Amino acid sequence: MIRSEHSIVEYDFQRMIVRPDRLHRGTDADYLPTAKQMLRIYRDGIGSARQTLHGRIETCLNRLPGCPPRRIAAFCKLLDDQSEYHSDRKAALQLRRQVFDFAADRHPIVEYREGIFDNEMHQVRSELAETVGRPWPEIEADLFSDVLELQRLESFETSLTPAQLLSAYNVAQTQAALYRATRVRVDASDDFKTIVRHAKLAGLMHRIDLVSSAKHPRYRFIFDGPQTALRQSTRYGVRFATLADKLLALKGWHLTAEILGPRKQRFRMELSPADGLTSSLTAPDAFDSSLEAEVDAAWQKTPVDGWIWQRESQLLVRGQSVMTPDFSLYNQQRNLLVYVEVIGFWTPEYLEEKSRRLKEFASVPPTDSRPVETTRWLLIVAKQQERDLRQRFADLQLPIIGFDKHTKPQSWIDAIDE
Amino acid sequence: MSLRPHVDFHQGTVRLFGLSARFVEKALTDVPLVWDEREDCYRADAMHADAIRQGLEHSLAGRFDWRVGRDAGAAEFRSLAVNDLRQVTLRGDQQQAVKAFEDGGRRGLVVMPTGTGKTVVAIELMIRCQCSTLVVVPVRDLMYQWHAKILEATGIDAGLIGDGVHRVSPISVTTYDSAAIHMPRIGDRFQMIVFDEVHHLAGPWRSDAARMSIAAIRLGLTATLPGDDQRTERLQQLVGPTLYQQSIAEASGKSLADYSVHRIAVRLTDDEQQRYRDYSRQIQTFVYQQREFDPQFKWDDTYALSAATKQEPDRARDAVIAMRAFRLKRQIEEHADAKLRMLEDLFRLHCDESVIVFTGSNVMARKISTRFLVPCLLSHCGKKERRQWLQGFAEGRYRVLVANRVLDEGVDLPEVKTAIVLGGLSSQRQAVQRLGRVLRKGTGGRRAKLYEVVVEDTREVTRSRDRRRNEAYRQKR
Repeated sequence: MIRSEHSIVEYDFQRMIVRPDRLHRGTDADYLPTAKQMLRIYRDGIGSARQTLHGRIETCLNRLPGCPPRRIAAFCKLLDDQSEYHSDRKAALQLRRQVFDFAADRHPIVEYREGIFDNEMHQVRSELAETVGRPWPEIEADLFSDVLELQRLESFETSLTPAQLLSAYNVAQTQAALYRATRVRVDASDDFKTIVRHAKLAGLMHRIDLVSSAKHPRYRFIFDGPQTALRQSTRYGVRFATLADKLLALKGWHLTAEILGPRKQRFRMELSPADGLTSSLTAPDAFDSSLEAEVDAAWQKTPVDGWIWQRESQLLVRGQSVMTPDFSLYNQQRNLLVYVEVIGFWTPEYLEEKSRRLKEFASVPPTDSRPVETTRWLLIVAKQQERDLRQRFADLQLPIIGFDKHTKPQSWIDAIDE
Repeated sequence: MSLRPHVDFHQGTVRLFGLSARFVEKALTDVPLVWDEREDCYRADAMHADAIRQGLEHSLAGRFDWRVGRDAGAAEFRSLAVNDLRQVTLRGDQQQAVKAFEDGGRRGLVVMPTGTGKTVVAIELMIRCQCSTLVVVPVRDLMYQWHAKILEATGIDAGLIGDGVHRVSPISVTTYDSAAIHMPRIGDRFQMIVFDEVHHLAGPWRSDAARMSIAAIRLGLTATLPGDDQRTERLQQLVGPTLYQQSIAEASGKSLADYSVHRIAVRLTDDEQQRYRDYSRQIQTFVYQQREFDPQFKWDDTYALSAATKQEPDRARDAVIAMRAFRLKRQIEEHADAKLRMLEDLFRLHCDESVIVFTGSNVMARKISTRFLVPCLLSHCGKKERRQWLQGFAEGRYRVLVANRVLDEGVDLPEVKTAIVLGGLSSQRQAVQRLGRVLRKGTGGRRAKLYEVVVEDTREVTRSRDRRRNEAYRQKR
């Protein structure tokens, strides 16, 4: 990620929206060959100091019309993020100690000898070079070699193509615009579980509402932090930026951020897959366990008429706790929604946690205030574990089905109706 | 959820569960509580924890659970024995400051010039309060310095939070930035909080460090309150009112050394002057052209304009060029050859004394260090290196120490009577803080000297003039 001082945004005061800086294929076509040059500067720059490389990038980008300093700094940061710089603090400190100790008794070191001041600069430097055993220009070059801007590039082993570098820039500027966000809203029709998981990892708080029917559920997530209740705070901005990067790998979402703009005015920023930004992450795995995949395959093979089978399409919310049943079964005629949970692991910790969460969620109505009588639960477990797990989850009083490759989905529906 | 009302600490806030709106309106009138529908609770900044507890104790008489923090039940975080191993007697002004803080309800600001022993006052108060304490300081060096002083005064090996260390103990020291980052997790651990150089707290991000702490006892130390009322007001909300104030003029010659300020003007070389004029002309032309276009245009708008490449590409390009000229112009002022020559003269003049040189940039500091082969103390220096240069300087092994902003505040330098300012901000605070570095009253009562080397006919003259607006700079010639 780039720093907030590299962020370039355009504030539209009429529509009160924020547009992060983006480079476009058509209007900014010149940037593609420049990106190639920039990558070459770093690839060929092994051994050069960071400030030298930054100077070269600056020269390179200054050739393009109207490239702002922040864009230059942002590219330097993105390239640095792909680089390894050499910093031997110990050796540099050792050299400084040697040099300053040598010169301590010779203070002041004067340019030309005069009167009582006879420690002439050139003379002292050559004596120092002899003592240290290295020529003065080398000493001078290495004296502060551990300072950030003087560190030398050790390796730049990135597979980034010029187009990917420009894409990374667009993502980074979008993320940086979110540093000033006070709250983020995500409307999603897919990948709910992953969205919630990433929000949790980012340490965000949420409010979740179901905004459409059980047949095609669509949820509205509002993410912020504890301080948001008290004041407009940009404290969670970096967390929103982290979340946005994760969203890019998913599908079916639309993000709206509240951004604190000049004079503390509130602006809006929109983001969705339609923006064409690409994430550095891959899309989430299809299934959490092989059992889950087998259960899904069994339904797909012999589905039951009148029932809609969906994967992770429902969210159950209780305060800041969220549960996503692995599948749902919906029967429109009967207006009956069944949450299907597949218990695919058997470690004691997993089973204990599963039992706790089922107790928490199976007893309360879901977010959309659907009447309790229109929802049911079904637990699917591997046949060989069926007996043990029936005992373990007996107190939940939920229907349990033992599953193997011969089990027909009709038996699941029968179990629900029992 | 328990039926008894309960209060807990949540990421820098306190949550109140199980209380009715009517009760809250009646019993906790003065506390800015907000209903948080996300969790069906009332919420307030952690800094109001004490007021909430008092309000509940008064109205509910113990019929509530106080679950503020993981260590709510741990005795060592409520009270602890802080031994007094010191061999010092507090001076009159220090005693007055201690009394003013205690009489003022143990929440407020103490304003004393650098070198008058603010740390001594704070440690005295820590020993008197006998409770868990977090000391918040602006830079890493000060963090280690406070750690050493607490160890010396109380025998306690205080925890450190910052500079890659995260050791939280009942008595801990941290930096402002680390405090703002970690307070959502540690804000419930300390009963007392000390903000050294408290003017750093006023910014919106750093002020979270005060808001997110439950500490009831709050001490803010500074040599200079912020110049504007808004920032001062914020400090007073976060820490408390000004309880004791002493000016640098009052302290001069008494608790501080007497001093004089000498300004030395140097000139640019012909070549430097030529380049300086060229860049100035470029900037003037740019501003003139922009004002033709927009009469309200100010130089300060240039940076924003430089980013408007899509809406106004031509103006944005001109802004970028003007900014580059401005940067190069500043470099000429900052690195003027004459400064190094003048520095050599001043080193000759004070060849047997310890001299500290303040620069306006890290690059200049390194340039001086490389030219005169003297240590320079910059932000990149690690703890070990800093200690090494400071110790060598204190022992007189190194006659000169060069610094950019690291030493502007707080870090103790023993008996330096000569300081040279080669550049810096127009800020009066920085000027007073730098002056304070050489004003510690040592033995012998020698007069301190501060030289200010300014390049004639440049913006440095304006910055120097701005610095002089301060009373302490103005009166001493």
